[in-house]
Amino acid sequence: MKRIFIDPAKCDGCKNCTIACMASHADMTPRRGSLDELRQAVYALDLTDPAVQSRNRILSDGQGGYKPIFCRHCDVPDCAGTCMSGALEKNLETGLVEYNEDKCAACYMCVMNCRYGVPAISPDRKRIIKCDFCAHLEEGPACVRACPKKAIEVREV
Amino acid sequence: MERFVIIGAGAAGITAAKTLRAFRPQDVITVLSTDEQVHSRCMLHKFLGHERTAEGINFVPADFFEKNDIYHISGQTVTGIDTAAKTVSYGEGYSVPYDKLLIAAGSAFFIPPIPHFREAPNVFGFRDLSDALKIDAAFAGGKRVFIVGSGLVGLDAASALCRRGAQVTIAEMAPRVMPLQTDGYAASVYQKVFEDHGCRFLLGIGASDAVVDGEGNITEVILSTGEHVPCDFIIMAAGVRPRIQLAQAAGIRAERAIEVDDHLRTSAPDVYAAGDCTGLSGVWPDAMAQGKAAAENMAGVDTVYEKPYPFKNTSNFFGVTMLSVGRLDQTEGADVIVHKTPKEYKKAIVRDGKLTGYLSLGDISNSGLYLHLIKNGVDVSGKLDRIFRLTFADFYGINEKNGEYVYTV
Repeated sequence: MKRIFIDPAKCDGCKNCTIACMASHADMTPRRGSLDELRQAVYALDLTDPAVQSRNRILSDGQGGYKPIFCRHCDVPDCAGTCMSGALEKNLETGLVEYNEDKCAACYMCVMNCRYGVPAISPDRKRIIKCDFCAHLEEGPACVRACPKKAIEVREV
Repeated sequence: MERFVIIGAGAAGITAAKTLRAFRPQDVITVLSTDEQVHSRCMLHKFLGHERTAEGINFVPADFFEKNDIYHISGQTVTGIDTAAKTVSYGEGYSVPYDKLLIAAGSAFFIPPIPHFREAPNVFGFRDLSDALKIDAAFAGGKRVFIVGSGLVGLDAASALCRRGAQVTIAEMAPRVMPLQTDGYAASVYQKVFEDHGCRFLLGIGASDAVVDGEGNITEVILSTGEHVPCDFIIMAAGVRPRIQLAQAAGIRAERAIEVDDHLRTSAPDVYAAGDCTGLSGVWPDAMAQGKAAAENMAGVDTVYEKPYPFKNTSNFFGVTMLSVGRLDQTEGADVIVHKTPKEYKKAIVRDGKLTGYLSLGDISNSGLYLHLIKNGVDVSGKLDRIFRLTFADFYGINEKNGEYVYTV
């Protein structure tokens, strides 16, 4: 089981991870995108489009430090533990909390119950926005590869 | 080898079955349900609105029972529990023995004692798939619908039927829609969006009598104001009552609801209860949590069930989204902070430095921490100037061992 480990002391708030997440999940990103393709996708992003959303957030602590908020794919996930449609499920083999958009009824129980405030809602109010560990990228989460400080890294738990 | 029996295939029953299987790979698990198929009542409106099929509102995979090796006796009503012989009887004289039993029978809709309402064949609830099927059939015969109650269930039904071109009238005793979850402003926003879709609201008004035809069907509802409202059928959404008859008949302590201790044990040995029938909470997440905790105890894993915090909900009608936590009606002696823009409306109720209520209408993204703050009485007195911009960054902590987050207060 893998998890993205965070070292907030290393984060300098550049938000490369945020942009990489947007690019990874935007429609024009080629599936199985290489790092190079991902870089190109960043320049094709329309940042004025409300549908371009990041699954992670880097928040300033107001004192020069940063607090990265990434889905933890919790061992006991509040989101999947309260989902009424079966759209969110903890995969016990991979450890990931997987989201099935087709099953989701957009009731937003998960939004209310995630104590860390991770899930966001889509502008069309029909689904949620949540980390999928970049399941479509062979090389793993785009955010981790984009971080120049190694403040986030994938580790076995 | 132990035999586990679960009565009910809703949020609590299914979660319990899944949990039991995880802890007990070899034991026998049987789920009994009146419902023919598993479905999420929170998605019933999707079925009634013809957005999804019955399979589409199943909240477990189609092969759930097969894959988990769980017996599902569906479409059968439980007729009795014998706590001495440890058997559950169902259907026409069948019975199944148990070593540990979970009652997760849910709740049933309630019809207030209005003349004719309890007997009329065209008065329906909106709790189960069978209710939705009846409404669907009635709708083929006439599109004038009268709904009693404008809580989440009433509005769910209304949104589904409006989408199919019904002429919906909703009577609500309270002065505003969704009275438990809204304040005056939020209610007015929802009222407007429903009116724009063809609903008519009668607020502060109840049904007091009815005109019936030769078959006892209600053809007109007579309001407390004396007005007559013609209708083809009626949906009752004026509250529910825990299903306790089975437990009571078996001598299990149950007055308004099935009594349980902090391990979700009932007064009968080896009999547990979870979900709506315990009366502890009426919301889906709490039923799941109870199903899980009860199953753990049944499997011999000691789990104390913490009292739930039931004052919480989210709603999404016609794309208008709202998160509502805590007691919004209790504002006396509290600080009420409001933030209002054309796109957003937020309200925080603070008492002694702690949040006791939080309402957000609009983009509710990332707002889950407010439930945590209210439920756990976290002190926010130093943060009142940015009460609507609180994030987990304000309480940030990391468990170095496994990388999960922890609250630091």
